[in-house]
Amino acid sequence: MSMEAALAGFQQAYNTHDAFELASCLKPIPVDRLYDFWRSTNEARVEHTVKHAITFGLGRIERSEAQGWIDVFVGFWRASDKIINADQAQNQGRLSERHALEVYEAWKDLVQTFQKYIGNGTLPHWIIFTLYFVANDLRRFAIKADAQLAKAKPVTFSAGLSDDVVATTLKNQKLEEAARVFSRIFALCMSDRNPNLSESRKWAVYCIANLQFKTYFKLKTITLCKNLIKSIEAQADMPPWNLYPKAHRVTYMYYCGVIAFLQEDYNKAETALFNSWAYCYKGSTKNRELILTYLIPCRLITKSEIPSVQILQEFPHLQTLFGDLVSSIKRGDLAGFDKAFAEGEPEFVRRRVFLTLERSRDIALRNLLRKVFLAGGYEDLKEGQAEKDRMRRTRIPLAHFATALRMGSGGGQSVDDEEVECLLANMIYKGLMKGYISREHAMVVLNKKGAFPGTGV
Amino acid sequence: MALPTTSTVAWSNPLQPPAYNPVVARTTLARPPPAHVGHSDTPMRDSPFDASLQPPTAPSEQPKKVEWTPEVRNYVGRAFEPENTIAGISKEDTTNKLRVVLSYFAERSQLEGIDWSTYPLPQELLRDERAAAWAQAQSNSLLSSPNGPANPTLDTPQSKKRKSQDKMDLSESADASVPPWRRTNLESRITYANGRNEKRHKKNAVSGDATSKFDQADLEKRKQRFQLGKNGNSSTPPWNSPKPDSDADMDNAPCVGTNMSLEKSYFRLTAPPKPETVRPQHVLEKTLAMLRKKWKADKNYGYMCNQFKSLRQDLTVQHIKNDFTVKVYESHARIALEQGDMGEYNQCQTQLKALYSQNLAGNPDEFTAYRVLYFVYTCNKTDMNDLLAELTPSDKIKPEIKHALDVRSSLALGNYHKFFRLYTIAPRMGMYLMDMFIGRERLHALANISRAYMTVGLRFLTDELQFGDDGECREFLESHGASQAIDKKLDEHGKPQFRVKVKEAASVFESLRQAAFALVDIKGQK
Repeated sequence: MSMEAALAGFQQAYNTHDAFELASCLKPIPVDRLYDFWRSTNEARVEHTVKHAITFGLGRIERSEAQGWIDVFVGFWRASDKIINADQAQNQGRLSERHALEVYEAWKDLVQTFQKYIGNGTLPHWIIFTLYFVANDLRRFAIKADAQLAKAKPVTFSAGLSDDVVATTLKNQKLEEAARVFSRIFALCMSDRNPNLSESRKWAVYCIANLQFKTYFKLKTITLCKNLIKSIEAQADMPPWNLYPKAHRVTYMYYCGVIAFLQEDYNKAETALFNSWAYCYKGSTKNRELILTYLIPCRLITKSEIPSVQILQEFPHLQTLFGDLVSSIKRGDLAGFDKAFAEGEPEFVRRRVFLTLERSRDIALRNLLRKVFLAGGYEDLKEGQAEKDRMRRTRIPLAHFATALRMGSGGGQSVDDEEVECLLANMIYKGLMKGYISREHAMVVLNKKGAFPGTGV
Repeated sequence: MALPTTSTVAWSNPLQPPAYNPVVARTTLARPPPAHVGHSDTPMRDSPFDASLQPPTAPSEQPKKVEWTPEVRNYVGRAFEPENTIAGISKEDTTNKLRVVLSYFAERSQLEGIDWSTYPLPQELLRDERAAAWAQAQSNSLLSSPNGPANPTLDTPQSKKRKSQDKMDLSESADASVPPWRRTNLESRITYANGRNEKRHKKNAVSGDATSKFDQADLEKRKQRFQLGKNGNSSTPPWNSPKPDSDADMDNAPCVGTNMSLEKSYFRLTAPPKPETVRPQHVLEKTLAMLRKKWKADKNYGYMCNQFKSLRQDLTVQHIKNDFTVKVYESHARIALEQGDMGEYNQCQTQLKALYSQNLAGNPDEFTAYRVLYFVYTCNKTDMNDLLAELTPSDKIKPEIKHALDVRSSLALGNYHKFFRLYTIAPRMGMYLMDMFIGRERLHALANISRAYMTVGLRFLTDELQFGDDGECREFLESHGASQAIDKKLDEHGKPQFRVKVKEAASVFESLRQAAFALVDIKGQK
C-alpha cells in the first residue's frame, strides 16, 4: 500500500474540515490501518514519501502549511514505528519499560509539532480539536510509561543536595510532563485574539480544560484545577457558554462540581452537578452514573435528601453502592447504616465520597430520634382544645432516647448515657433537632413548633 | 611589558576585585599613554583592574546608552536556558555575574569585540572561579600547615556562613599584602580606596554574594603568594582545566564518608559534600546511640534537631537506605512529636512512609496511626482520603491504627464524648499528637454543649472534656472569656458548687471554635 492510499482518509477529512475524522486518521492503535501506514515507507525514506504524498494529495495549499502537515505525518510515522515496535514486542513477550517510554516520547513530539504549527497559525484553527484527541492519547501513553517506570524502580533516590533519603517527586514523571504540555495547549486556546469568534481557538478551551482536569485528578494535584477554573472565569471575551458543544459543557460542569465537592462547598457542587446531570446525554449511562455518585452525597448534605427508588433502580451499580445506605437512613437504622457504610468503604474512598457520606449518619440518627418523638404520642387535651390542635409531647426523658440508640446501634457497641447526651447535643448544634437538654431532670425539651425541622413535625 | 596579551584573561579579570596585586601594580605604572590605548583592539587595552575599581553595579557618571547586539542578546538568553544551569549556582548569582560581565565591556564599548558565541557563560565563570578557589583553599591549607592534614572544614558551608570573620580576614590580608612601594604611590592609594569601596558594594549586594567573595579572598591570597616576581598571567584559562566538571558527576554518585566525629552541626548543602565531612554508617550508629542517651538526659531539642538533621543528611549523601535509616527517622520523628515540632515531624513521616514501602524493619503500624492523627490535626481531607485508600482490612484492625481511625470517625461524627475517652487511652505517642488538637476540640465540644444545654455542672465539663480536675477546667473556661458564665453556689454542706451557664457563652465559644479551626489551613507548617 502506498503512502498516498494510506493518507486518503486524511485528505477526505481535510477537505471536509472534519477534525474528528482527521483525529481518527491519527489513532495510535496497532491495527491494520496503522500497520498499512507504517509499511508504506521506512525510516530512511519517510520524509521524502510523506512530502510527496502531501504535496500531491492536498493540491494547492500554502507551502508553509504543507510543511506543517509533512512534519505532522513524519512525526506520526515515527510514533507509529515505536507503537508497532512495542506491539510486536508484546506479542513476543519481551515488552520492556523502554518501549512505553519510546512511544510516549515519540507521541509527545507529535503533539508538540501540532502545537507549534497551530500556534504560529500555519494549520487552520479547527485542527485544535484534532489536537485534543492527539493530546488525550498522550495522556494515556504517559500513564503507561509511568507505570512501566514505577515497575522498574519503585523508589528513587533523591539526587543532588537534598537532605532526605527518598525523593518524593518522580512518581508520575511523564504524566506531569504531559500535564505541562496540556497547559501550554490550553494557553494556546485561551490566548487566541482572533476577533472573528467563529475562527477562534477559544472553542477548544473547555475540552482541553477537561483533559487537564482528568490529568490533575490522576496526579492527585486537584488544587491545580482551581487555577484553571479561575483563569477561565477571569477571561472576558469567551464565546457564549450555550454555544459550546454539550459534551464539553457537561464534562466541564461535572469536574467543577466534583472539585467544589472536594472543597466541601456543597451548595456550589450541587448546582454544577445538577447542571451537568440535566444536560447529560441520556444514553451515556456511565457518565450519568458518575454524576450521581457525587450528586447523591451532595444532596444528602445540602438538603438531607435521599435519592428515589426509581433512580437507583435505573443504575444497578449505584443501587449496590448506595441502596442499603439510603434505606438505612430512611429507616433510622444506625446499625444498618454502619454496616452498609463499612461495606462500601473501599469504593467510597476511591471515589472520594467517603468522608462526606459519613456525615449522612446524622440524618439516620435524626430519623431515629424523630421516631422516638413520634412514639411519645400526644399531650392530654386541655379544656376547650379541639382534637386538631392536639400537641405532641415535647418533654422526652433521656432514657427513651438512650434505649432507642442502644437498640438502633444493634447492641454491638455499648452507648453510655453521656454519649447519648453528646449525640443529642450534636443534633441540636447542627440544627437537625430543636430544643435543649436538661441534665437535672434528665429530659430533653423539644421545640413545640417544629422539633425536627423539615420533616413535618 | 607586563601588559597581558591573551584576551582570555580579560574577562576573568574584571571579576577580581581589589587592586593590591603587585603584578598589576606594575602594569599600572607602565601604562602606555591613553592615545596609544585607543588603537589597541584587544579587550585588554585598559588595565583590567580599573574595571574592578568601578563598582560594577553602580551606574557610571555619564551613563551611556548601550545598544545590545543580537549576539549579546543571544548570550544572555543562553545564560538562562535551563540546560545551561549548573548545580549549585543560583539564578541570582548568574544574574549578578552576567551584569558584571556585560557592564565591564559595555563601559569600554567593547561589546562588539567579543565573540559572544564562544565566550563562557556567567555560570561557567562562576563555577570555574569556585573550583579555582576550592583548589586554592586546599593548597592554602597545605601550605600553611605542611605537617598537618588539610583542614577539612575550610570549604564547608560552615565557614562560608561566618561572614563577619571572612571580612576580617580579607581586610587583614589586604593590609598586609600591600607592598611597601605601593604605599608611597598616590595612584595605588586611590586604587586601594576604591577597592574598599567596591567591597562595601559587594557586601550590600545580594547575600548570595558572600560565597564568591570568600572565594575571591582566597584567590587573592594565593596570588600574592605565588605571583610575586613572576608574570602573573596564567596562560590556561581555568575552564579548560579538567577539574571543574566533577560537580555534575558527583551529584548522583553516593559519597563515602571518612569523618569519625560523633557530633556534627547541620548545614544545608550548597555543593557536593566532601568525604572528610561525612560520617560512615558505623560512626552514625554510635551517633544515634549517643543522641538517644543525651535526649533522655537533658532534653535539649534545639541541639537534638540539629544533630538529627546532619545525621539524615549524611545518610542521604551516602545513599544509605536500610533498617538503620528507618531507625534514625523514627527516632527523630518521636523526638519531634514529643516537642510538638510538627514541621520536622512531617518531614520524617513522609520519608518513613517511603522507607516502609521498601519492606524495611521498623514500626509501620505505629507511624501509620500517627499519620491518621496528623491528618486529623491538619484537617486535610484529601490526604486523609488517600491514606484511607491505602489501608488494608488487616491494617485497620491493628490496635494503634484502629485507635487512630476511631479518633477520626468520632470527630467526623461530632462524638466528642467518645473522642475524649479515646484521648485517655491513646497508645504509644498518640497523645502527643492529640495534644496538638485537643484544645481546638474542647472548644468545638463547648460550642456544641452551649447550644444544647442551658446550664451544666462544672464537674460535667471536667469529665466530658477530660480535664485533670475542676480547677483546670475552670481555668480553661476563664482563659477563653467565659468567666462570667461560671456560677458559684454553696451546697447544703457548705461546699462550693460550680455551675456553668453555657448558653450565655454560646456565641463566644462558637467564634473561638471557628478561629481555632481556621488556623490549621497550612498543613501543619507553622
